[in-house]
Amino acid sequence: MIATLSLLPSRWLSLPRARRWGAGLLLALLAVAWLLPLVTALDPARQDLMNTLAAPSLAEPLGTDHLGRSQLARMAAAIRLSTGMALVSVLSAALPGVLLGVLAGWRGGWTDRALGLVADCVLALPGLLLVLLLAAIAPGQFWALYLGIALVLWVEYFRVVRATTRSLAASPQLQASRLLGFGPGYLLRRHLWPALAPAISTLAAFGAANAILAIAALGFVSIGLKPPTAELGLMMTDLLPYYREAPWIILQPIAVLFLLVLGCQLLAGREPQ
Amino acid sequence: MTLHAIDLGVWAGDDCLVAPCSFRLSAGENLTLLGETGAGKSLLAQAIMGTLPAGLEARGEVRLDGRQLLDLRRGERRRLWGRELVLLPQEPWHALDPLMRAGEQVRETYRFVAGDDAGRARERTRRALARLGLGQAARRLPSELSGGMAQRLAFAAATAAGGRLVIADEPTKGLDSDRRDEVVALLQEAQRDGGMLLTITHDIQVARRLGGRVMILRDGRCLEEGEAAELLRRPRSDFGRRLLAADPAEWTARATPPRAAGEPVLRAHGLGKTLGGRRLFEALSLSLSPGEVVGLAGPSGCGKSTLGNLLLGLGTPDRGRVERATGLAPHRFQKLYQDPPAAFAPHWTLGTLLDDLLRRHRLDRDRVPPLLERLRLSSALLARRPGEVSGGELQRFSLLRVLLLDPVLLFADEPTSRLDPLTQREILPLMTELARERGCALLLVSHDRDLVRHSCDRTLELGTPLNQGSALTAREERAMPESG
Repeated sequence: MIATLSLLPSRWLSLPRARRWGAGLLLALLAVAWLLPLVTALDPARQDLMNTLAAPSLAEPLGTDHLGRSQLARMAAAIRLSTGMALVSVLSAALPGVLLGVLAGWRGGWTDRALGLVADCVLALPGLLLVLLLAAIAPGQFWALYLGIALVLWVEYFRVVRATTRSLAASPQLQASRLLGFGPGYLLRRHLWPALAPAISTLAAFGAANAILAIAALGFVSIGLKPPTAELGLMMTDLLPYYREAPWIILQPIAVLFLLVLGCQLLAGREPQ
Repeated sequence: MTLHAIDLGVWAGDDCLVAPCSFRLSAGENLTLLGETGAGKSLLAQAIMGTLPAGLEARGEVRLDGRQLLDLRRGERRRLWGRELVLLPQEPWHALDPLMRAGEQVRETYRFVAGDDAGRARERTRRALARLGLGQAARRLPSELSGGMAQRLAFAAATAAGGRLVIADEPTKGLDSDRRDEVVALLQEAQRDGGMLLTITHDIQVARRLGGRVMILRDGRCLEEGEAAELLRRPRSDFGRRLLAADPAEWTARATPPRAAGEPVLRAHGLGKTLGGRRLFEALSLSLSPGEVVGLAGPSGCGKSTLGNLLLGLGTPDRGRVERATGLAPHRFQKLYQDPPAAFAPHWTLGTLLDDLLRRHRLDRDRVPPLLERLRLSSALLARRPGEVSGGELQRFSLLRVLLLDPVLLFADEPTSRLDPLTQREILPLMTELARERGCALLLVSHDRDLVRHSCDRTLELGTPLNQGSALTAREERAMPESG
């Protein structure tokens, strides 16, 4: 996500084709989700029990669900929810992960060992278990889901950043810049960040895909968010009983989930050097 | 067995990278290709092996026992690797499997490339290792071997399948003279029993020791060819003469007498350091005065770099202390690195990095152009990144970077050992000249005694470190009698 937001037009053409596809896919989905409500009035909660499980039509391009709610409105809301939570999870995992990783790699010694121990402890817990635990403590709450996901994801950033920082901290290039009188801020900006950025943006894209999947999985097993929230996993569970009468409706959240994850994965994919 | 190259050249599309040249090599002979970096020597080796990078194409003919190698399909050429053609790895560390024991790496070549059965492969491995003095090392991992042992191991593994043509590409890059002689002896081993040896080097000493025939290359063109003994004594081409004159052993003695030394900028008292259980030096005292050029010599691993880093405050001594003259800013103690690209942030242009420095110390921008000119650097280089300029240019840029800070002490850690001799011949005198002119003490580390002797006012010689035993003291000698 970070990579998507920082994309500048001039850099667009220099991106490998797979990443361009990924970014394009995500941008298209986001545009549908965020721009459509500005054009027409879409209410994901408004029911019309006289018009349930309707096939796609001009008025309802994606049909209606078993309570006669507009599928288009619900899909747009679900994409907003998933991508928004993924973005927040990624940011709140990347920020502490990167900062602690730089700290551990740079300082070494006890700081490194203590932080490494904490990271190992978190890693020893199955990620989904931690999320389930938090979801059980505070059922149906946004913050519990997002906190759980962030708590699991930060370790990846921490480990990658720590390893890179540690090898750079001992390198002649940093020694030379320090001798020339440059401070830590400069070393971070000119030496560390360019070396870390590619790995971090790749991790962030994968992390976003994981977060989207985790939210949907929790919704699907009815532990995550509660109805009537429009959420991809929850919608799949709700619509499952009607797969015979209206197969096109159950396919919608599945397809969107697939495209979101595919977009993130393509964005993360780097061509072999 | 013969190798015959006829009008062999390397092309990238329509650009000629190595102009066609011809040579012939028969059983038991050796040929050394001599030239500066970027002369296309390595491409020639790759053209013979069939390992040219994508986009490059070899034209002409390479005949091995009459077979035209360039016409063979990729799979057929690959079958020759190890069995007939052997390319010795430049950096043995990168060629060995770090997780496989030494004996195993050689045994698998006998077993799977030469096609011996298990028992015979084991036996031949044992004999090969014993012959190269690695008998005791068979169970060790590459990380537990010394650099010389790793080189011998890589050689044993590469030649195990019986390849008769051995190609060595810059086998002595960055090695000190003892290690270099070891490698030369190893190469001569390849030539025993009628093997052929093709060595590519910029080191004249290697060419001289190997003997045989020598070919001097420049800009992808063969300038002259002849017997090593004859050609290396009296080269006919102008470039050949310059190449020979660049050898530190041939440098003319420095003309300027050393300056009268002033108040020392740095004194060290009774320094001692132990690293990894080895006592590097003990009770070492020295002082460095402005404008003085001091050589620091000794075999590799004797603690030359460690000593310099201690003096710069980049490490702490176990015993003793380092005192700087009072009233000097910390950034006036500077260092030049062995591998120039490693000392720069790789993602930014040189101009950006230079601007950073000017801004950090509020330096006058007008000081840059004269220095650029003095160091013979084009200002067009500023638009490029460190990886996009040559090693020599980058080392001169490093020099520019530190000179802007008016250093009082410059510690140059093997600043030219990765550069070819012509570039070294150009940079080192410039470095010492600028240091003397600006009253900066220069501590020059080198494994090349000739180079130290010609450049320095006095030399500090560190001994071989011992694991235990008597304390080592550094021996100091004045280089120039008239400086007394």
